[in-house]
Amino acid sequence: MSSPRSFSLIPRGRRLVSLTLGVFLAGAMAFSGATAAQAETYDPITGTGSTWSQNALDQWRKNVASNYGMTVNYSGTGSSAGRRDYIAGTVDYAVSEIPFQANPEDGSPPEVPPRGYAYMPIVAGGTSLMYNLKIGGQQVSNLRLSGDTIAKIFKGTITNWNDAAIAADNPGLAMPDKGITPVVRSDGSGSTAQFTLWMSKQYPSIWTTGMTSQYPTLPNFKYQSGSSGVAGYVSQNYGEGAITYVEYSYAMQAGFPVVKVLNAAGYYVEPTSNSVAVALLKAQIAPDLTQILDGVYNNADPRTYPMSSYSYMIIPTAVGGVFTTGKGKTLSTFAKYMLCEGQQQASDLGYSPLPMNLVIAGFAQVARIPGTVVPAFDPTSCNNPTFKPGEDPNNNLLAQTAAQPAECDKKGPNQCTTGTGGAAGTETAVSGSGNGGSASGGSGSGTGGGTSGSSSAAGGAVDEYGNPVSGGTSGGGAVSASPFTLAQDSWGAPQNIMLAAGLFVVLAAIVPPFVAPQMQRVLGKKKP
Amino acid sequence: MANSRTPVLEAERGSEKQESHEPVAGRRSLVSKPSRSDSVFRNVSYGAGMATVGIMLAVGIFLTLRATDALGVAGFSFLTEQEWSPETQKFGIAAVLFGTITIAIIALCVSVPLSLGAALLISEIVTPKVKTALITLVDLMAAVPSVIFGLWGVFYLQANVIPVSQWISTNFGWIPIFRVTNAAGELATEASAFTSSAFIAGIVVGLMVVPTQTSVMREAFSQTPMGEREGALALGSTRWGMIQTVVLPFGKGGIIGGVMLGLGRALGETIAVYMIISPIFVINWELLKTGTNSVSSLIALRYGESSQFGLSALMAAGLVLFLITLAINFTASSIVARSRSGAESG
Repeated sequence: MSSPRSFSLIPRGRRLVSLTLGVFLAGAMAFSGATAAQAETYDPITGTGSTWSQNALDQWRKNVASNYGMTVNYSGTGSSAGRRDYIAGTVDYAVSEIPFQANPEDGSPPEVPPRGYAYMPIVAGGTSLMYNLKIGGQQVSNLRLSGDTIAKIFKGTITNWNDAAIAADNPGLAMPDKGITPVVRSDGSGSTAQFTLWMSKQYPSIWTTGMTSQYPTLPNFKYQSGSSGVAGYVSQNYGEGAITYVEYSYAMQAGFPVVKVLNAAGYYVEPTSNSVAVALLKAQIAPDLTQILDGVYNNADPRTYPMSSYSYMIIPTAVGGVFTTGKGKTLSTFAKYMLCEGQQQASDLGYSPLPMNLVIAGFAQVARIPGTVVPAFDPTSCNNPTFKPGEDPNNNLLAQTAAQPAECDKKGPNQCTTGTGGAAGTETAVSGSGNGGSASGGSGSGTGGGTSGSSSAAGGAVDEYGNPVSGGTSGGGAVSASPFTLAQDSWGAPQNIMLAAGLFVVLAAIVPPFVAPQMQRVLGKKKP
Repeated sequence: MANSRTPVLEAERGSEKQESHEPVAGRRSLVSKPSRSDSVFRNVSYGAGMATVGIMLAVGIFLTLRATDALGVAGFSFLTEQEWSPETQKFGIAAVLFGTITIAIIALCVSVPLSLGAALLISEIVTPKVKTALITLVDLMAAVPSVIFGLWGVFYLQANVIPVSQWISTNFGWIPIFRVTNAAGELATEASAFTSSAFIAGIVVGLMVVPTQTSVMREAFSQTPMGEREGALALGSTRWGMIQTVVLPFGKGGIIGGVMLGLGRALGETIAVYMIISPIFVINWELLKTGTNSVSSLIALRYGESSQFGLSALMAAGLVLFLITLAINFTASSIVARSRSGAESG
C-alpha cells in the first residue's frame, strides 16, 4: 500500500507524525502478513439479522478469524432488518427466525429477494420459561405446566397462580393466591417469534395473532427490553409472581428455576440442550426450505422439550448484489464450521446443538452456494457433539445417550421435588396433595455445575453430551468425560492488565481536578 | 467581532503607509482585500455553518419523505390515536407523546432544584479550589453514557424507589396523578404495580440532565458583574440577599435556557428510558403506576423488526419528536438571547 518513497515526501517539520505513521503501517503490514501467511485466503463476508443468534455468531466468527484467518462481519440489527438488507443486496447473508414474508399483513410490498436464496439451519434453542414464585416464603423450583396452560397465561386468560389448571399440573404444590405477571419482550426478538410460533401452531384457538417477533400489547403484561431485561425483572424482589420466556442460559445465570413443560409422551421436561436436540430430531424442512416444527412440538420421545426450534441463515444461491463467487468460498467454509465444530459451543453459549438431520439438511444447502468449496456431508469429518464420526441418522449418539426423564416427572399424582434451571440445587417441599419424588438422572438435575469454567451455562445439561449416563444414576461423576469442558478461568496476565487499565481510567478521572490547582500554585511560584 | 475588526485595522495600517509617501485625493476606501488566511478562514467557517444547517434540513426532509406513507394512511388521527399497530393500519402517537412529555416533566421536577442548587453552590459559595474540582466532577457526570444510567436505574434504583412510590400513593392517593389503581379500580399495594413507571424513568432522566443544566446555569451566574454584587453587599445585604437580588435576576436567562436545554434532552433520551419502561399504548395519568412510553424508545424498540410500512410509521413519530425538540430549542435560545446574561455572553 505505502511506497517507501512516500516518507521522503513528508516535510521535515512533520517527522514525528510520519514516524508514528510509519510504525502503524509497519504494524499493520506485519499483521496482514501474518494472516496472509496461512495456506488459504478468504474474502471478507458481511451479514446482518437476528439478535437471538448473535451470541453464537459472534463466538464463531471470532473462532474462524483465529483459526482460518477469515473475516466474517455480523451485526444483530433484527431479523426483519436482516431480510431487508438481503433484499437490497447490501449483505452477503442474513440470519432470521422468520422466512421472507410473501404477504405482509400491513400492506407493505411483499419481500422478494432479487437473487436466489436458501435457508440453512444454524443454531437451535428451547424457549424456557423462567419464573419467580414463592409458597410460604419458600422459592418454588419444580413448577410444571402443560402447553395450553402456558398459552393461556401468556394470552392473559389465566391470571392467578392458584388457577385450577396450574394446580392440576402441580399436585405436589399448594398454589398461592398470587397474581401472575407475564413479562414479555418490548423489543422485536427471535425469542418472541419462536414462542408465538409454538403457541400459534399448537393452540390456535387460544393464541390467535399468529407468529410475530413483536409481542402484541396486552393489559397487565410487563414489557422489558432484551433477554437480560426480562430475566432481570423476574429475578428482582418485586418480580415475585412473574414468569417470562427467555433463553435457558439467562435463568442459569440469574439462579432461577425454569418450568418443566408437558410433552406429547406425558412427561414434564426441562429445556436442557439435550432435550431440545432430541426434540429437533423430528424437525422437517418444507419444500420451500422453511421449517416445519409440528413434529418437534408433538415428538413422542419422552425426553422431548416441546418448545424447541432453530434459526436459519439466508444464504445466496446465485451471485448478485455484493456477493461474489470468491465470497462463496468464505461463506461455505464458515457454514461448514458452524454446522460441525461450531455446534460444540452451542450449549455453552445458551443454545442447543443442531442434531444430525438438520446438519445434513444444512449441508444440502451449502452445496448450492456459488463457489462452494465444501464437499458433501461426511459424518467422519464433521465434529458435531450430537453424533460421532461414522454414524448415520438411524444410529445416533444423541438418540442413544440422552437421559430419560424421571418417573416422578410423568403426568400423575407424583411431582419431582428436585429444582430446575439455575435453582437446580433447591428442593421444593411437597405442599399439595400429591407425592414427591427425586429426579435423579433426569433432565439435567444440576450435576457438575462448578466444573465448567463458563459461568453462564455451567448447568448440568452442558456437561452431558457424549457421556453415556444411564437412566437411573445421577450424573455426578460424568463431568470429567465431557468433551468440551472449558478451561478453568484463572487470574493471569490479561486479568492483571485489565485491572490496571480499570484503575488507570478511574485515576485519570479523579486525579486531575485535585492536582491541577496544586500544579498551578507550584508553577506560579516558579515563574512569577 | 474580530472578523469585522480586522479589515479596519488593515485599512488603517494601509492608510498610514500611504500617508507617509504622498497624500491621496478623495475619500480613502475602507474596503480591504482579505489576506489568504482570512479568506480561507471565512470560507471554512461559512462551509461549516452551512453544512450544519444543511444537515438539519436534510434530516427533516428525510423524515418527512419517509413518513409520508404512514401519514397518508393515518391522516390527522396520527396525533389522536393511542394504539400503535401499523400491521392493522391503526396507529397514532397520542399515548406515546403523552408518555414522552410526562417523563420529561418529571425529569425536570427532579433536575431543576438539583442543578439550580449545584450551580449556585459552585459559582457563589465554595472556594476556588473546591470550585475547580466540582466543575470537573459535574462535567464528568455529563460524560457518563446513558446506558450506564439505564442499568443503574433498572437494577438498583427501581427496587429502592418502589417503597417511595408506595408511600406517596398511600398518603397522597387523593391527588389523581399520585393514585395507583389495579384492574378492579381499587388502590394497588403490591410492588409489581409500581415497577417500570414514568416516575422511575423520570428520576433517571432527571439525573442525566442535571450536568447539562448545571453548567449552563453556572456559566450565567458567574458572569454577574462584580460591581453589582459588591454594591449589594455594601448595602448590607447577606449572601442570600445578594444572590436573590443580583445573581438570580441576572442569570434568569441562563436558568431558563438551561431548563429548556435539559427538557430537549429529556424528550429525546432513548436508551435509559428504553431499559426502564414497560411500553403501553394508552394514556396513563397515574404517574406512579407501571407502564408508560416515549417516542425515541418506541423507535429503538421497534425499528429492527418493522416492515417497510411500520418503519414509515416510526419515521412519522420521529418527525413529530424532531419538530417538538426544534421548537423547544428555538424558544430556549430566543429567551436566552433576550435576557441580560444571554445578551452579554452572546
